[in-house]
Amino acid sequence: MGPSLLTSLIRRLWMSLLVLIGVSMLIFCIARVIPGDPARIALGPNATQEQVDLLRERLHLNDPLPVQYAEFVKESLQGDLGMSLYTNRPVVTDIGDFLPATLELVLFAGILMVAIGVPLGVLAARYRDGWVDNLVRLLSLAGVVTPTFVWAVFLMLGFAFFLEWFPVAGRLSEGVPPPPGITGLYTLDALLTGRFATFADAVTHIVLPATALAMTGIGQTARLTRASVAQAYDTPYVHMAEAYGYPEGRIASRYALRPAMIPTLTILGLDFAAMLGNAFLVEAVFAWPGLARYGVQAILHKDLNAIVGTVLVISAFFLIVNILVDLTVAWLNPRIRLENRRAAG
Amino acid sequence: MIDVKTSVSALALAGATALLPMAAGAQTTLRLDEVAVGELDPAKATDYADSILMFNAYDTLLLPTRGGGGMAPHLAESWAAAGTTFTFTLRDDVAFASGNPLTAADVVFSYDRLIALGQGFSHLFRDHVASVEATGDRTVVFTLNQPYAPFLAGLTRLQIVDSATVLANLEDGDFGDLGDYGQAFLSANAAGTGAYAVTAHNPQEETTFARNDGYFLPFDGAAPDVVRLRYGLEGATVRTLIARGEHDIASQWLPPEIVRGIAEGDGTQLLLESGTGGFYIKLNTQKPPLDDVHCRRALAYALDYASVLALVQVTDEVAQGQPANGPLPVGMLGSDPGLAYPGQDMDRAQQELEACAYAPGDHTLEISWIAEVPIEERFALLMQSNFQQLGFGTEVVRVPWALFTERATSVESTPHISQLFVNSTTPDPDALVYNMYHSTVAGTWQSVEWLQNDDVDRLLEAGRAELDQDARAAIYQELGALLVDLQPTIYAYETQSVFPASSRVTAPSLSDPAQSYLVNGMNFMFRHMSVE
Amino acid sequence: MIAAVFNSRGWYKFRRNPLSMVGLFLVALVVLMAVLAPLVAPYPQHAGAFVDFVNASQPPSWSNPFGTDLVGRDVLSRVIFGYQISLMLGVVVLGIAVPIGVGLGLAAGYFGGVVDYVIMRVVDVFLSIPPLVLAMAIMGFLEPTLTNGMMAVAAMWWPWYARLAYNMARSESREGYVLAAEVIGASTPHILIREILPNCLPAVFTKITLDLGFVILIASSLSFLGLGVQPPTPDLGSMVAEGARYLPDNWWMAVFPALAILVAVLGFNLLGDGLRDVMDTDR
Repeated sequence: MGPSLLTSLIRRLWMSLLVLIGVSMLIFCIARVIPGDPARIALGPNATQEQVDLLRERLHLNDPLPVQYAEFVKESLQGDLGMSLYTNRPVVTDIGDFLPATLELVLFAGILMVAIGVPLGVLAARYRDGWVDNLVRLLSLAGVVTPTFVWAVFLMLGFAFFLEWFPVAGRLSEGVPPPPGITGLYTLDALLTGRFATFADAVTHIVLPATALAMTGIGQTARLTRASVAQAYDTPYVHMAEAYGYPEGRIASRYALRPAMIPTLTILGLDFAAMLGNAFLVEAVFAWPGLARYGVQAILHKDLNAIVGTVLVISAFFLIVNILVDLTVAWLNPRIRLENRRAAG
Repeated sequence: MIDVKTSVSALALAGATALLPMAAGAQTTLRLDEVAVGELDPAKATDYADSILMFNAYDTLLLPTRGGGGMAPHLAESWAAAGTTFTFTLRDDVAFASGNPLTAADVVFSYDRLIALGQGFSHLFRDHVASVEATGDRTVVFTLNQPYAPFLAGLTRLQIVDSATVLANLEDGDFGDLGDYGQAFLSANAAGTGAYAVTAHNPQEETTFARNDGYFLPFDGAAPDVVRLRYGLEGATVRTLIARGEHDIASQWLPPEIVRGIAEGDGTQLLLESGTGGFYIKLNTQKPPLDDVHCRRALAYALDYASVLALVQVTDEVAQGQPANGPLPVGMLGSDPGLAYPGQDMDRAQQELEACAYAPGDHTLEISWIAEVPIEERFALLMQSNFQQLGFGTEVVRVPWALFTERATSVESTPHISQLFVNSTTPDPDALVYNMYHSTVAGTWQSVEWLQNDDVDRLLEAGRAELDQDARAAIYQELGALLVDLQPTIYAYETQSVFPASSRVTAPSLSDPAQSYLVNGMNFMFRHMSVE
Repeated sequence: MIAAVFNSRGWYKFRRNPLSMVGLFLVALVVLMAVLAPLVAPYPQHAGAFVDFVNASQPPSWSNPFGTDLVGRDVLSRVIFGYQISLMLGVVVLGIAVPIGVGLGLAAGYFGGVVDYVIMRVVDVFLSIPPLVLAMAIMGFLEPTLTNGMMAVAAMWWPWYARLAYNMARSESREGYVLAAEVIGASTPHILIREILPNCLPAVFTKITLDLGFVILIASSLSFLGLGVQPPTPDLGSMVAEGARYLPDNWWMAVFPALAILVAVLGFNLLGDGLRDVMDTDR
């Protein structure tokens, strides 16, 4: 990593921090305008007005918004995001419990998207306008146009109810203890500690939910890759490589695919927050104890601290992923590296 | 290790039952689910999932009599009432999961904690109990402010906590020396005497229990060794799990079609819990045209009760409801078998409508349904078509629960018609009707009728003050007849909770009315269940 | 540039691709059904407040080709009326989101500096909040009506257009023709609207036709949360969401509305791809 890249990385981190502050202010306000009195909802049906008032007082809900926000910033800088009214636990604990499950899901979905979508796209571009192209186009559109939750229900009924190939719910089978928590991602932890039976069990559990979550992305990735690769095939350097009689595989991977990965990666990065959000539909169907579902429950229960905490964590991940994407793109494309140097200088 | 444990428990049971050969090593597991996340802190528990946790992980001084009215000893082996003073004598053979013996100080601590936190079921005691004192190691005295008949029934919601364990696990908080009063600890751990000990609690996923073989009462039959209470499963998921034999008892919140689908599978049964509440169609009595009793009665006559019940029919024999004739379900103290059961009668509806001061065409009735309870949409559409026949304009509105609780706080924003399933939280009629109809409680989701009636208030207060059971029954019967006449609510049906289950489970309290408790969720005491 | 499609050369190119023609046919079919719903639907009254419990949950038959729902309404009729709402949703949402997004994106890209910094950070904020969380929050704030639903979806959609227009404007503003316009003293609005905008439009227009489908889908995700269109108004997303609960027994309740969404989205995607191909080579 050259000094220019470092400068631009620092600049990006600084801007991300600004964005995160903006997100926190926005979500802080939004969380408070969702209808319903959080105290009343938390206390349940039989609470008296007195009890509600007491809890509102304890939660500082009667203070002016800027005062509440200042308090929030002060406490969150100390790593305290407050208590969740929905689970009655510290929000930090909840996020620590639920984030790894969702990350694992999104990670697997991301792998599926690239592993299936990119080759499909390359194939379609290679045989452009032929029947392969049209078939891939139809398949990927079908993936794109079916809502995630419908995929989830269909996959579950098909592969768990009728065929019984895969487990239905949860992250591990009954009686299989979770691997020692290193990252919280069960598959990774099982591998790291050499528990291959646990790893296999965790993988069979994640296949269906990850596929359901990835279906839209696979279609999108295939379409984007096809478009970019098709463009690359039209460039003089690919024509030249073809004229030199380079093997097809080498042309595809070296000359056509590499520049074509840039827009695909960019969109994948931008899509990250959307995917974390969409995961809750999949999590609900497959009883996946993840952060996305927690966030939705938090909204439905008007659990202020949990809403703010969840959204902030998701935003932070979105920003980090996008910095990583930009770094990868810069690594893939020398021209951007040069531009960065110019911008930094 | 397992062998040792089994033989110890077998020995412990040997006195009561014949020594049976135990299946070596194999643990039996019971798996069930609930929609909402369970709250493990006894001072905060309120809903159904919470109740299941409470009645298994903790015990109470008294329990309702199985299959009937009245209270029976539990942690308290006896009690004596003198005026407004109740003296309880505790059993001497009860220990908490920590090994600490149960003492009167634990009861006082549990009560003080409930009141200090001011959440959960503290409202059952706060305005009525003057003091709670330990007068001996095993004697506790509750002194009330005034005669308060629902007091003993309310004790089913006072879970006794292990004070020593809680005090050893305090964190910083608003309660001075008491720190957070153990809130952080008790939201993740149980500190009770219960028949089942909580081994893990993940609010998003499940709570797991292990059988407490040192429990002071014997277990019925082959009670499960391990219980998993899962949270938030989708209908399709539950159905798939049961079909694959990976789940035992589904929640009561599934729509009838899915319950039917599960029941049609092999090796399934339907478990039932009834007699604790009803489906109430609540009319806003302060908003025209429903501030006129005749318009309210017109709606009550126009409703197609048979279709309502047909909508909740699960199989030929089982429905999620049965006809209701008033505010109190059959079998509850003060319910009146003599009251007529309502039915659709368009002629009488028209007569009432003519007596009403408003012309139906001038008003649009807002029929709300709670977004989280999809079956209510069908009731709303049925009411829409029934009430349109009378000439009322109608508008069906879907209201998320959070928004509904907000709208319920003022007359203007409360819809004309709200649909609510309400269950009694204690085995006492007061718990059901006082919070609905007393003029001082208006403005909560339970009291969206906004009823302001002196006679109703008088009867509700009399019902609390009267200690003689027969006289109380008469008061609540009078109240029931008055409410049917005033019609603040259309009593659509009595709810019967239907739990589709695998037939490997035997649960007498959920299948035999003579063995069931009249408290919501109490029939899920795992110690009464058997698993193959 | 739309004209490009209608001139004979463009039309010839368009017509040559069978998939584009399929797209055009599907879109025409869907739009016609939506517009003529009261005439086409076998039971128009089933789109509104109607109950017939005797005929509830019936599988597909001659009289109800798509079966009936839980209160006895004809699913086919509701699908046809559902197109009305779903298409309107797409048009209104994009009608709000596109001008806002494109306008802000152009301004940020052209002016650069502080304007760029402020606008694009706001865009980042919106992009980094999960769209459903954003929409739910807005829907929660407002009452869950159709209008507010459309506002919510529009609020989460505009940043994508801002991104797109921003990138285009940034590269276009360095092109010779813009510099030339600046040199001859053209006003800023003139440069933005008359010079830069037309060159961004093909990309924007293509994205619009692709997005119409996605908007319908997002709306259906909202319905899944109970935040969409108010009943008894039929909406394809809500129908799938409601029906998915009753799989596999009442499969027709979910499968037919899902296929209906698929047909519409597929149509718009194919049409969009066709238009883009025509325009790409036209430029």
